[in-house]
Amino acid sequence: MFDRIVYLCRRVLRNLKGSPILCSAAIGTVAVALTILVFFALIVLNVQKMAAHWSKEIQVVAYLDNDPPGARLDDWRKLIKGMPEVGQVRYVDQDEAFRRFRARLGSDSDLLEGFGVEILPASLEITLKEGHRSQMAAEAVVGRLRQNPDFSEFSYGQDWLERFESFLGMLRFGGAILGSFLLFAALFIVANTIKLTLYARRDELEIMALVGATPFYIKTPFLLEGALHGALGGLLALIGSFAVFQLFLQRGLSSLLLVSGNEQIAFLSWQQQLFVIVVGILLGIIGSALSLRKFVRI
Amino acid sequence: MIQLYNVCKSYQKDSSAALDNLSLKVPKGDFVYITGPSGAGKSTLLKLLYCAEKPNRGQILVNGQNITRMGSSHIPHLRRRTGIVFQDFKLLESRTIFENVAFPLEVQGKKRYEISNKVYQVLKHVGLHGKLHQYPLQLSGGEQQRVAVARALVIDPLILLADEPTGNLDFEVTLGIVDLFKGANARGTTVLLATHNRELIRRFPRRVIALENGQLVDDYTP
Repeated sequence: MFDRIVYLCRRVLRNLKGSPILCSAAIGTVAVALTILVFFALIVLNVQKMAAHWSKEIQVVAYLDNDPPGARLDDWRKLIKGMPEVGQVRYVDQDEAFRRFRARLGSDSDLLEGFGVEILPASLEITLKEGHRSQMAAEAVVGRLRQNPDFSEFSYGQDWLERFESFLGMLRFGGAILGSFLLFAALFIVANTIKLTLYARRDELEIMALVGATPFYIKTPFLLEGALHGALGGLLALIGSFAVFQLFLQRGLSSLLLVSGNEQIAFLSWQQQLFVIVVGILLGIIGSALSLRKFVRI
Repeated sequence: MIQLYNVCKSYQKDSSAALDNLSLKVPKGDFVYITGPSGAGKSTLLKLLYCAEKPNRGQILVNGQNITRMGSSHIPHLRRRTGIVFQDFKLLESRTIFENVAFPLEVQGKKRYEISNKVYQVLKHVGLHGKLHQYPLQLSGGEQQRVAVARALVIDPLILLADEPTGNLDFEVTLGIVDLFKGANARGTTVLLATHNRELIRRFPRRVIALENGQLVDDYTP
């Protein structure tokens, strides 16, 4: 068994040494295909991350006609906190609302001269739990609160939420479609490059079959070689895309997503990097297997 | 050793048959020339014997085994007992002479020391033990064919199939190659040699199976 493994490794190394240009072409193809995928993944993941960050802003504001008595407020708080979608409930009394409004007006705050705190209603700011930050959850909470006549009005950024959700949906759908398309394109290119390397070795494949090699014996080193090409291509893609990310992409994405500070735009996590290498290995193996079907005939 | 019963083979549906209702028997240890003009079916017959092609009809038995019913997983095992020599040598140019001859033994998973001993003996037998580390393109045509014969003989084949092995060689070199086949035959290997070289048959008279248009037209021993 050990002899067999050593022999297989020797054959893989011999193949790599025997046709360095074709091997480099195969590795390069995998690297280019995966670099495009990594760039695409970086954009989608960072936009999704930003979207998740923005979704923290989703909250329901229930306006009250008057400042309620303390006991009643506590009851409401308990009731609202008991809802499955609700994370936190914060009471903003008329004083605080007026203070906030004044602060927001900044240098124009003198416009409020002559007005009292009673011009702004008190409110309950209801933050939704992660996983419930959607239009549906916000509407469910509002629906339940409407049954209470003490709440005069609700605001939960209906239009913004609608647009935000359709944007997220499009991003996910477009990401899935474009990602699969890129993956298939990569597989097609890699399979054809590997086909070229096999074409250059068709004599060897024919002679192997003629001297009694089993399909398993013939194919295994080529599949291993495909896996090695894929792994090296994946590694090159990560190194290349990390360099480009550091030099250009981070800054570009920051300005595109209106993020202040580069630290929020992140490269792939180590699990995602490992995934890229695994995708490379799978591309190499599947590409080799597809091409071998045509060339290995016993 | 080899029995063919009413074997028919055509490569395309409407084309004429490459082999047409061919029946013949070759006993173990026989040396047979397969002759006939180009397109007579010599190569097709050999291809059927090493399972590179399947017959459309008829049965072929090799060493008691019906190879027409053989599954593709068994074909490699049949080929491990069959030496094959081609007109164009089919050597791996990127490998040394030693590596080329060792190839069938590597495929069979033999141990390295076994391979080294056996390959050296065979190369000595064909007179190329001094060129172990050279590459095929550094050798003459005759020497390359000797390497191909060594590769076929290194597995101690039950059957040796040679398809026009001397077609590209001059007559002096041809005699040397046929000597190697005769030696293998003397050690018990059944040899089928496809050729249209009449001079060769005249020099080394053995059983002749003559084909024409895929049919057996003569079977005689001069």
